[in-house]
Amino acid sequence: MSSLKEILTRRPVAATIRLTVPAGAARPAPPVGPALGQYRLNLMAFCKDFNARTQKYKPDIPMAVTITAFKDNTFEFTVKSPSVTWYLKKAAGIESGSSRPGHVIASTITLKHIYEIAKVKQSDPYCQYMSLEAICKSIIGTANTMGIKVQKELD
Amino acid sequence: MLMASLRNLLFRRVYTCSTTFYIPSLQLVRPTSALLPSLSTLGHFLPAPRISGQAKEWRCLSPLLASFSTSSEASTNEASASSYLSVRIRCRKDVADMLSDALLCFGASSASMDEPDDCDSTDEESFHPVKISEDLWIVPEWRTPPDAQATNIILNPGLAFGTGDHPTTKLCLVLLYSLIKGGEFFLDYGTGSGILGIAALKLGAALSVGVDVDPQAIRSALQNAALNNVGPQEMQLCLVDSMGNPLSAVGTTDGNVKGQSSHGIRLVAEKEKFDIVMANILLNPLMEMADHIVSYAKPGAVVGVSGILSEQLPQIEGRYMQFLEGMSVSEMDGWACLSGRKRITKYS
Repeated sequence: MSSLKEILTRRPVAATIRLTVPAGAARPAPPVGPALGQYRLNLMAFCKDFNARTQKYKPDIPMAVTITAFKDNTFEFTVKSPSVTWYLKKAAGIESGSSRPGHVIASTITLKHIYEIAKVKQSDPYCQYMSLEAICKSIIGTANTMGIKVQKELD
Repeated sequence: MLMASLRNLLFRRVYTCSTTFYIPSLQLVRPTSALLPSLSTLGHFLPAPRISGQAKEWRCLSPLLASFSTSSEASTNEASASSYLSVRIRCRKDVADMLSDALLCFGASSASMDEPDDCDSTDEESFHPVKISEDLWIVPEWRTPPDAQATNIILNPGLAFGTGDHPTTKLCLVLLYSLIKGGEFFLDYGTGSGILGIAALKLGAALSVGVDVDPQAIRSALQNAALNNVGPQEMQLCLVDSMGNPLSAVGTTDGNVKGQSSHGIRLVAEKEKFDIVMANILLNPLMEMADHIVSYAKPGAVVGVSGILSEQLPQIEGRYMQFLEGMSVSEMDGWACLSGRKRITKYS
């Protein structure tokens, strides 16, 4: 539960905004601009902060970011790693998943790819309590829904 | 009740929206003049602003009083008994509720509201004057400086970065404040709104050159230079590409801009001419362009880099160690600023 200090200094939350922004490329223009501008947040500060924190990724990777806007026009945000589907598409070398998953296979990847993706995902806030095996299972599940087949080794 | 509610709305920060009020006009002869007195009496209800901070809200309501158009032509064509005068009033969102109530009291028959497409009045409220040090203030264009004796830099950043609010800007300004003695040549790499260049000039530098990859930033910097009465011979701006090569003029056909940038290109092309070089960008450009940025500094000149998080500092230190000696770091809020003097002899 929150500590007393947190309760006393709690700022009422105006909104939670979820966005996908390319790494290192946040600008005050759409899509970031209107979404944040609605809550009168300091766009420039967010862009600079976000760009600085995503410097370690390759440019233009779409990052998921969750911004908590408070009523007093301050904000906090957490940057999460890109989505699993994006990683899978890159690993499989395809642009989009198959149109009939389960029936039509779009591409195949190996367990090694899954393992690498799971390692990256482990640093995400919501995966930290899961074992690597559990994360891998979840990624395989996602791959199944996209029509990507997982093989032990590439033939 | 009306006064209290109107008074309340002065303290709120709101958006613009268009409000359409339909007011039955019993006399079609002089509809506009009937409307104006009622709205001006509305104006009388508003309390006179005592604090200059509220001047903004007061000002926002006078465009409200001023910017309405009447479309009485359409209503005169209708031969019905109840003919309406429609008035379009542009006002702020929170105000609109109160205003529609007030106008209904005054005799309007209906009020409808449309939302605008963009909400770009956010900038105006979120920028306040920022105090950098005892006698250096950054003041947004629409506010009066709190301290008239101090060195005040008037800014309108627009879409470019650099209002003076951000810790990195503050760190750079504090550094500049301590460094500038008078008559230096200053290069601002990644100038954004031009704030660092203008600050340098105000503090006593002889010449300021601002470089950026974003044409919007160059435009914004030009605007701010004009706001602070800084002429083209004191401040030059140059648009470069991401490798640091100068590009041609921003794309305006304004001869002034072309003249500036051609001179700026000449100056930018001269290496080792600047006494102070400041770069407030991001980690990756700083790492890639380290050679390029430092090459503009005279040997023994000061080079300052910022826009880096504290955790990115070791990387920057490692990269710039071969160029700079006597490095010092200042930090604020998790952001860091590194400065050092350019080595006179090569690092071995």
